[in-house]
Amino acid sequence: MKLRGTILFLAGALAALGAGWLGFPRVIYRTQAQPVDFSHKIHADKAGSKCEDCHALRADGSFAGTPTLDKCSGCHAAAMGDSAAEKQFIEKYVTPQREPAWLVYARQPENVYFSHAVHVKRANLKCERCHGDQGAAAAPRAHVEDRISGYSRDLLSMDACIACHSEQHKQNSCLDCHK
Amino acid sequence: MKNTRRDIFKFAGGAAAGALLTPVPWRLIKDSSLWSENWPGIPRPARGEIRTKTTNCALCPAGCPVRARCVGDQPVSLAGAGCAFGVAAHHLPYHPARLRKGPVAEAKAALAKRSPADPIAILDLNPGRTASWTFRRAMGALKGTYIAPETNPVAYDLHAVRTVLSVGTPLLEAWGTPANVIAAREKFYLIHAGVVETRTAMLADQWIRAEGLPDPLPVALRENGPSVVIGDAPEIPELNRSLGAPVYARPEAPVPESWKKQAAPVTDLAVVPDRSVRFLLIDESSAATYVPWHRIEPKLAGDAVVITFAVARGGYARHATYALPAPVFPETTEDIPAAIDQTSEVFRLAAPLVAPPAEVVSAAEFASVLADVPAAGALRERADAIHKLSPGNFAAADDFWKALLEGYVWRGAPAGPFSHAGSPAPVPRAPRELALTAAGAAWTPALLSPLMTKLYEESNLRLPPNAVALNPRDAAGLPQRAVLQTLLGKCAVRVVADPAVPPGTVLTGSSPGIRDICSPGDGAKVVAA
Repeated sequence: MKLRGTILFLAGALAALGAGWLGFPRVIYRTQAQPVDFSHKIHADKAGSKCEDCHALRADGSFAGTPTLDKCSGCHAAAMGDSAAEKQFIEKYVTPQREPAWLVYARQPENVYFSHAVHVKRANLKCERCHGDQGAAAAPRAHVEDRISGYSRDLLSMDACIACHSEQHKQNSCLDCHK
Repeated sequence: MKNTRRDIFKFAGGAAAGALLTPVPWRLIKDSSLWSENWPGIPRPARGEIRTKTTNCALCPAGCPVRARCVGDQPVSLAGAGCAFGVAAHHLPYHPARLRKGPVAEAKAALAKRSPADPIAILDLNPGRTASWTFRRAMGALKGTYIAPETNPVAYDLHAVRTVLSVGTPLLEAWGTPANVIAAREKFYLIHAGVVETRTAMLADQWIRAEGLPDPLPVALRENGPSVVIGDAPEIPELNRSLGAPVYARPEAPVPESWKKQAAPVTDLAVVPDRSVRFLLIDESSAATYVPWHRIEPKLAGDAVVITFAVARGGYARHATYALPAPVFPETTEDIPAAIDQTSEVFRLAAPLVAPPAEVVSAAEFASVLADVPAAGALRERADAIHKLSPGNFAAADDFWKALLEGYVWRGAPAGPFSHAGSPAPVPRAPRELALTAAGAAWTPALLSPLMTKLYEESNLRLPPNAVALNPRDAAGLPQRAVLQTLLGKCAVRVVADPAVPPGTVLTGSSPGIRDICSPGDGAKVVAA
């Protein structure tokens, strides 16, 4: 009788563990594909592009973020290769002059002030430190969004910011980021 | 084998225990808190070009220079302001207590019924502005009374002294212009007299734990001159005169001559006859001070109409017949009068960074329409008059105006001598028949952004406006919610136990409700609600 009770308890625990680790992420997260099958790897390898060639800082030090269609059209006004992805990109976006609705993995909430210029130029941080090795990706990862908070799953958390600032003995006050 | 209810509970218990080892509860807690950060009503800065605008903060006469970081046209951070109020001033237009609508038409209708013989007055809580001159001109035209909290304000030159005696003032916390006070601090010996262990007391070279003017006076005042005494005690003007202290009449930037001819004189509230005011307009939208209601109320006729121009329903709106919504910094172009430590004429503007709500009404515009005094371009007219007198580096008046809108500060002639004879009479205090003696915390007229409360109030950087602080001995047994009682009335307060407050003293917050019933030195008691 006691064994039966233990088995039932463990069965309940296992069912919850399975639902929590396997089922719950499917429910809570919405997965969306990027509008264009963009390959960072091809651009880095074949065109020799560096991160800052497309994700540049403006003259006033602010970060331009995701490049606009103008930047892409500079090279892809006509097809440079024979890939289906490029052909589709030109047909859907370049020719009709329609901006792709890129999904930004690391977009911070509105209440966060973050300066790329300070981190990249002054602290000499590599892009990979926060964004991972995106430059080596042959295809864009799907954008995973939390259905409740609306935040990207890949959003850099405040804990990560604080951990790095503590490690580097940098300022950590609330107003540094929440201005 | 038959499943029993006990089996179901065992399975559910296991499931609950297992769930704790999954991300489910923790993710839901975190997501709920993040979701609540994005409720409707929270302003969302637009994504767009980042611009920088420069202006001056109009929340107090210090007028700190401000650099606003804007995304598109929306300010998202302010830098340069020297206090928690200024740093978060761009939140104020969205403050939950903000008045956005009001009975403007009803107030106009009530004033339309006024006969020319009905006495009318304006109480200006931030005199020295261009709007103040509009009030004076309006009262001149209507044969009314222009009332200011101080008829003869003074300015102290802290750079010209070697000893300063602060009598209960928040000299190093919220007194003059922060940058100016800090720059001068190294050069003078500071003696602070006060019962409460304030930050000024802690940072002073000498702290005398006494209420009011110390007796005997510190010898350094005479031996380490020049010296100055600052504070509200009635003996101080005469003491400064005997010390030869560098105290001046508060300078005011020049105004067009035609305004002076039209303007009503500045009247002290104390000399306004009792029960004589039939219509009272109060401009508390950018109040630099607060006059307790018990000093205003006796001046009103029995059927008086009180119209207040307020940013929030906390001050005189509680007593007014009509509370009209007024613009708040940074929604409007306004000038900032000289601070208590500025000894030369100064003219600077606070330029708007956001558009005001559609229904707000400026007190100056309201008064100018009422009296048919043209005031729409008054600021520009005054700027042109100043430019004509002293063009400085600006050949064209348009360039001068443009620079003012971008934060330029014009400085003119030094202040004139202060006439000690014109000092206001001390306000009589209620006798101390109550157990505790009140001491006032630093007065801060501005609304505080709710988003700053964590840093400002909950971290005990300042006493919250609706709170009183007691020595832990006096606070023992009192609940957190209590009632402050004085001879003038009662006010619900929050009680904070603070060892910095000596036994027998109650340090009061600066909310209008508390200030209506309690002044420093008054007798008071705190009882359970």
